[in-house]
Amino acid sequence: MIVSHNELVAAVNKAFLGMRRSCGEADIIANMVADLQIVGLHGVRHFNNASAFMGLENDCPADIKVTGENTIEVDLHNCSLACYLPVVMDYAIEKMVGFKSLKIEINNCHNRWLAYSELVKLAAKGIACTAKWDNGSAPNRTLYVLNCGRITPELFLSDEVNDSDQRLHDMSIELSVRDFDVARLSEGYSMHVDPNTFAQAQNSAWKNGIFIEDAQWSTLKQTATAILVENSEQSVKGAGGLS
Amino acid sequence: MDADRATRTEATLRNADVVMAPERLGAMHQTRISFVRTLIRKMAQQQWKVSKQEWQLCPQGFGHVIYKLATPHHVYHLVVFCDQIADNERNDRVIAEKWDVTFALVYGYVDVSLLEKLRSNVPLQEAGRNPNNVLVLARANKSVRVFEHIVSHLAKGVQPNPKDLADVGYILRTTAVYGNGKFGIADFKLLEKNPDFEQSFSAQMCAVYLLRAFSLDWVNYLAIQRGGEQATELHSELQRYLGVGNATGLGMAPYLINHPCVVDQWMTTRETALAAVLDGATEVDKLAPLQVLLQKAIRHLEQVMTINETQQKLNAIAVGELKNLHENLVTLVEQSQCWRDLFVHSQHLSLETQEILAACLMELYPELVDVYQEQMNCDETLSLPSGKKIQDLLLTLEKNYRWAINTDFSLAENQYWFWYRSQDKEEPRLGVRGEEPGDDRESLLDIGRQANRLYHALLGQAPELSLVEFLVQYPQYRTIARRVWTMGHKAMGDIQMNVLHKASLPMHLLRCKLSMFGATTFDPRSDRWVRVTFFQGAPLLDEIHAQTAKDDWLFPLLPNHNELLNNEQPLGSKGL
Repeated sequence: MIVSHNELVAAVNKAFLGMRRSCGEADIIANMVADLQIVGLHGVRHFNNASAFMGLENDCPADIKVTGENTIEVDLHNCSLACYLPVVMDYAIEKMVGFKSLKIEINNCHNRWLAYSELVKLAAKGIACTAKWDNGSAPNRTLYVLNCGRITPELFLSDEVNDSDQRLHDMSIELSVRDFDVARLSEGYSMHVDPNTFAQAQNSAWKNGIFIEDAQWSTLKQTATAILVENSEQSVKGAGGLS
Repeated sequence: MDADRATRTEATLRNADVVMAPERLGAMHQTRISFVRTLIRKMAQQQWKVSKQEWQLCPQGFGHVIYKLATPHHVYHLVVFCDQIADNERNDRVIAEKWDVTFALVYGYVDVSLLEKLRSNVPLQEAGRNPNNVLVLARANKSVRVFEHIVSHLAKGVQPNPKDLADVGYILRTTAVYGNGKFGIADFKLLEKNPDFEQSFSAQMCAVYLLRAFSLDWVNYLAIQRGGEQATELHSELQRYLGVGNATGLGMAPYLINHPCVVDQWMTTRETALAAVLDGATEVDKLAPLQVLLQKAIRHLEQVMTINETQQKLNAIAVGELKNLHENLVTLVEQSQCWRDLFVHSQHLSLETQEILAACLMELYPELVDVYQEQMNCDETLSLPSGKKIQDLLLTLEKNYRWAINTDFSLAENQYWFWYRSQDKEEPRLGVRGEEPGDDRESLLDIGRQANRLYHALLGQAPELSLVEFLVQYPQYRTIARRVWTMGHKAMGDIQMNVLHKASLPMHLLRCKLSMFGATTFDPRSDRWVRVTFFQGAPLLDEIHAQTAKDDWLFPLLPNHNELLNNEQPLGSKGL
């Protein structure tokens, strides 16, 4: 299925609004999904995975505490990262004032791939970022690195399991005013997708439309119907008659 | 908005409380930087060429037609499909499934394979899928009465009765014109660097203008099919008088609420252009052209046919006021140092009259106004800067959202309506809260209520508290906080309308957008539907090609007797 960016954003927006959650912003989440999908990283699939559980998740604020001079710890209570990351990043940026770097440990969260969009925004503003997490299935370890001004990340993946310190529902984000040493950070990762690959995918999607697996699009469209109100004779009048 | 613009405009622009009040938005008129005006100027200045590529219609007028549009930069094609439908299938609402005419504006060339793909999908509209070289997807229905009247007269070799044309003003009436990625077509992003259509909605306007050309070609063709050698062509003055109708319903209203930066940009640009004129000294040699424009406005309003009694009264009041203004214009201008003095003097008049005067004054100064026509696009990001405190946002709310924070939302009348989308083709509808099902799935168009709730939540916090820390605790307010901050720091900001109020009129929102597009002849069919006309009075394609197009079609008028006699085509028996 080839869809347009506007179509994708509108569908996710409606789907999220249909969940009637207090936490989470439909327009931002819609762009998180589209930004990920447009570079070929399956944003819709991640959103569909998230939406299957969002209705069951807590709809309460994240717990954030400063645990050190330049470290903050966030508990998302097993909720989707998509609903909280923007406010967490706002908080982090304020706490970073006066420091050259900041570490954010996000615990008990899901849908970590969807962090992509917020990290890209920060890099564009001149803040370098890394994000890494472990997963229970392949790829078992994931690392994004975005140095200042980059519009697409270096992505590193590994199927090796880190037995000693596996954190399957956490994510570590590091922000810095200086660029990261990509070679050092990526040691131990067996797969690498370079930023140009994502940039090319992005350009191609803008030009030719965005590819989404049929089943994923169908699931998303179905979720987006939750906001619709059933038709009735009375409802038809609500559009205002046309003489 | 950049700081320079803020400094430059704050002193001269009308206040946002004045401009963004719903009643004033509901009195807006076309100006010379409305999108249709900008488009026609561009087509004429850059010598865009339109030609018929295919005319595959049966004698009854069904089949397909392709027009080629060549600009100095690119080539496009308008592909039109004409289908036979029963009268009871002709419905202007979004829930319709068949139309007299469906069409698509395509970037580049149309080969056989693409034509077949379009033939399979364009007539289905929302139910089809089109490739992303389709820039615009749209449909239109006939005004059956006008269509038959014109064709039957032309077939007999006589011109139609102008009065009958004036009652409607168009042959075809669009019921939806989709762009920007709808149903798989090209995103606007693809056009952002295209010099032909880089302004938002310009591709849609162009498709509608080409449809107008088709509607004229269509009736002329059918007249010949029906009348043979006896048939004649529609008089060029009548051709120019006919535009393309448009039926717009509630569906347009959510756009204005959901795209606040766009609306602010449009209104700020229009107000800046107006201010550039108002700041200038009055000039004697502009007096006569202004009198002509006011006379045109009077005659235009007198010719507007509307079934809506409120609009009839508003038009009648405006006609009376404009006549008075016209009579006293010489004295008023003599007493005015600058145009602003004259404009301020009109502030006791009705909103319709004030906005007509604004449009007329802008018309006098193309050299001051037209430079703003390319400033309609904007960044739509709603964001919060770092380092703000509760008191900063409170200040913004108190300065810019009085209309919202002073509303008592505990009163039932202030949240009487809820907006929602129906399962029936997602058509936007209004329901009465507490009486109709669906308020649990209410569309979030309640900006006033959200701003009000945010305000009261902020009042309970320490003024020095970081806004970010507040939003960590209360993330449900982050969306409205972003909006209030962003819009509160723009020149015009949000539309100041509680759309939930029992007496709120969606019509005001529709008219705001339609007048920015350049619609004329506002004919409300209810408080939620309006019929308008686009390109009425606009130059014909021949005139654009021949470089004889005039940029003088504000307030289009039915051709007068002399204009119609200046042609050898015989006139109909009834009219003249």
